[in-house]
Amino acid sequence: MNAAAVMDPHPTVLKPTDKISTAARFIMENRYRNLPVVDDEGCYLGVFGVNCLLKLVLPKPVLMEKGLKNISFIHESLEDLHNRFREIEDQDISVCMNTDIATVRPDTPLLETLLLLHDTRTSIPVLEPGSCKLLGMISYWDVGKHILSA
Amino acid sequence: MHNPELATQIIFGIDPVWYAGSLFVLTYLMIMTERLNRAVVAISAACLMIIGGVLTQQAAFQGVDFNTLGLLTGMMMIVGITKNSGVFQFLAIWSVKRVNADPWGVLVMLVLVTAVLSAFLDNVTTVLLIAPVTLLITDTLKVNAYPYLFSEIFASNIGGTATLIGDPPNIMIGSATSLGFNDFIINLAPIVVVILAVTLVPIYLIWGRRIKTDPALQERVMKYRERDAIKDPRLLKQSLLVLALVMFGFIQGHSLQLQPATVAMFGAAMLLVLHILPKPANKQSELVHTTFCDVEWTTLFFFIGLFIVVYGVETTGILEQVAHKVLSLTGGDRATTAITILWVSAVASAIVDNIPFVATMIPLIKSMAVSFGGIQELQPLWWSLALGSCLGGNGSLVGASANLIVAGFAERSGQRIRFLPFMLGAFPLMLLSILISSFYLHWRYF
Repeated sequence: MNAAAVMDPHPTVLKPTDKISTAARFIMENRYRNLPVVDDEGCYLGVFGVNCLLKLVLPKPVLMEKGLKNISFIHESLEDLHNRFREIEDQDISVCMNTDIATVRPDTPLLETLLLLHDTRTSIPVLEPGSCKLLGMISYWDVGKHILSA
Repeated sequence: MHNPELATQIIFGIDPVWYAGSLFVLTYLMIMTERLNRAVVAISAACLMIIGGVLTQQAAFQGVDFNTLGLLTGMMMIVGITKNSGVFQFLAIWSVKRVNADPWGVLVMLVLVTAVLSAFLDNVTTVLLIAPVTLLITDTLKVNAYPYLFSEIFASNIGGTATLIGDPPNIMIGSATSLGFNDFIINLAPIVVVILAVTLVPIYLIWGRRIKTDPALQERVMKYRERDAIKDPRLLKQSLLVLALVMFGFIQGHSLQLQPATVAMFGAAMLLVLHILPKPANKQSELVHTTFCDVEWTTLFFFIGLFIVVYGVETTGILEQVAHKVLSLTGGDRATTAITILWVSAVASAIVDNIPFVATMIPLIKSMAVSFGGIQELQPLWWSLALGSCLGGNGSLVGASANLIVAGFAERSGQRIRFLPFMLGAFPLMLLSILISSFYLHWRYF
């Protein structure tokens, strides 16, 4: 059994030129954790999800390597966060999508895939070996559904 | 020249002077090119000094300055524990609120905080704590972070010059001589204050007068509650108590025959005891482990390797010969020698790591004692070395580790500090500080 057996071969995808506001509304309305971003040729570029939204409203120095870990002195309202979001909502999602997500191949063993899912806590893109073509996505729900129905 | 008591035997019949000299130059080149981690280079070279027969293992250990290592380790541990209290964020936020978050005022206050902290803590730690807060404030004020980060680089190197514990070159000089904490404060702190103030003038003229922001954004910074930055009030009290005792120890230690390493290590041990005492056993082990993880072992091993390499060169008599050459060039005049050391140290420290440079210069200056009429007469030369090597670090982005740390933050925030543009602004400013130091040395000691 391998990754291909539990993947969703027809995932909903986003384009890198989609606006942050549109993508954010879409993932919130449909309660997606994250969605893959692919170009016109179907080449996988990264993922955009709820974590990206959080990153967009947090101050940059908090997120950077060796950044500010103690921010208990900042007290911002929801309005402040909304205003910060408004400042960037017209930009393309390519500026903030996550490109560091681990990927698997269709022939990656099932347990290795599940361990990766457990460690990364996010849906995993399945790529065609030797290329960037997105073949599918593996989410907690896909895996859970397959295990329960086996 | 070769001392048989210190050495084993020379392999392959190579002249020890040539062997040690070549190894030393090669080590310097390797450190400069940064192709290999500097600690790995220094440790490898130290081992080759022993394997090559220039030093026995026992002699090599004699060359290691454990006072410098102990002081560095102790202070790293104290700062490692203290930073968890949130006091450094408190200081930064508190200071910028004193100037109503006015952009130029913020720059001045952050420069002052950086300089004062750098005088008493390691420069790298200081900028690691202040740079992220700076980026947060500049991000909130929507102003260019470059002038702030540039000024903080200068403040960390200038502030670090003021005390025995502020910068590794001073720690090494203090350890190798009979100069104590008070000697450094009395002789270096006054000129450091002047240099810091003068440095702010061109920074104001170039950037400061043009930095503007929206009052609404200033209001956002004013809404920061600095008191909330204190995450552990108990740890804060413990840390401040220990830091005060350590400073007292540094000031009084000289008369009590207590070396700075003993004071710093005892302070670190005391703070650890206070910090872990009320915790359960498993938590205690975790806290001790975390504290030791905060020690920069790479830096310490770099020092160890370097001390052995320089000691190896020293035993062959090369440094003594170089010292005679320097003296003949300066005509044996103390003032000329001091000014030469100051300028050479500054330019060298802007290009190469100032730690190996100072490690080499210390025995070289010591060997001038006879020519100048005793160890006491060397004092101005030590201040020249301290001023030159610490302030010289401002000359380029690679001049000091703190510079690279700030540059790293700048890059991650999308406001890259490039090597050449930085040097174009920094090198003349560094030369200005050396010029001021030259006048000071001449006025005060000659």
